[in-house]
Amino acid sequence: MTVGAQVKQTLASLKGAQADFETFALSTQNKKAKQLYSQAAEQTQSIVDNLQQRVTELEKEEPQFKGF
Amino acid sequence: MPDWLNITLRAIGAVAYLFLLTKIIGKRQIKQLTYIEYIVGISIGSIAAFMATEMDGPIYHSLIGMGVFALFPVLMEWLSLKSKFLRDLFEGKSTVLIKEGKILEDNLKKERLTAEDLMEQLRIKNVFRVADVEFALMETSGEVSVLLKSESQPVTPKHLELTVAPTEENQVVIMDGVIMDEPLATAGLNRRWVRTELQKAGVALENVFLGQVDKGGELYLDLYDDKLMVPGAQAMKLAFATLKKCQADLELYALNTKNEQMKRTYQTDSEQLQQIIDQVKPFMIR
Repeated sequence: MTVGAQVKQTLASLKGAQADFETFALSTQNKKAKQLYSQAAEQTQSIVDNLQQRVTELEKEEPQFKGF
Repeated sequence: MPDWLNITLRAIGAVAYLFLLTKIIGKRQIKQLTYIEYIVGISIGSIAAFMATEMDGPIYHSLIGMGVFALFPVLMEWLSLKSKFLRDLFEGKSTVLIKEGKILEDNLKKERLTAEDLMEQLRIKNVFRVADVEFALMETSGEVSVLLKSESQPVTPKHLELTVAPTEENQVVIMDGVIMDEPLATAGLNRRWVRTELQKAGVALENVFLGQVDKGGELYLDLYDDKLMVPGAQAMKLAFATLKKCQADLELYALNTKNEQMKRTYQTDSEQLQQIIDQVKPFMIR
């Protein structure tokens, strides 16, 4: 597995975790928990953005592995 | 009217009237009854029995008698709501039995409590050493309340400076294989959600004895068939494990990459993710 593929996998997992946060935020009735989960989802977004950027860079370096 | 029919009708009438009166007196447990309420209860009962079996006098005599008896506790409660003096008079005052770790023998005598009685009451409260007690009080109901010395009190998350997730009310949504609509609505869920969760667990609704919604909308199931294994709620744990894996991955990339700028980005990202993990940990792992 190339570095690009690995980073892509991490990116996918992280996106999944972020989506989980959003689900938990929606499904809980507790205001505090709701706030915490949506905050966590927002914070995860910036990491997702950075990783996404890195994936784009890696794709430029290794064009043969482009796409998921 | 034959005698037996008369007695039956009177008995039914007496029970119905008793039911009405107890509704008026209000809900109190036997344990919490004050002395006067206890007496009133007994008297009303015996008048009702008298009314059912004695056919000499007119019925309304008994009815009036019971009504007056029932009126007393209601009146006294109303009066004690209005005045502190009457409250103390009717309901009594609580007595301090142990203060600053020292037993007050005079107050024990006042309540006619022996040392054994006190020890028994403390033991009922799970206190076996008098030395652990800071303060104990006999309530008006006769029960003893105990405050332990701070070093003997059970440890709470506050003492350990732990962050814990707020407790949420758990709703029982399936009982005896039937979906309960009201608690389900309180939890903000619907029947379709229950069906989906049951399908996920691979369980038929008829086989569920009890289903309860836990934190974060996870369904706990207890089945009639105890040999059947139900997979525990995994969503939260799985999401948490994924987060930890992502964090470890980011650290790995930070070590592997030769690009200096990228190394720093990975590092800050992994630190941020660690922060998020620390924040949500008490909520997701309980």
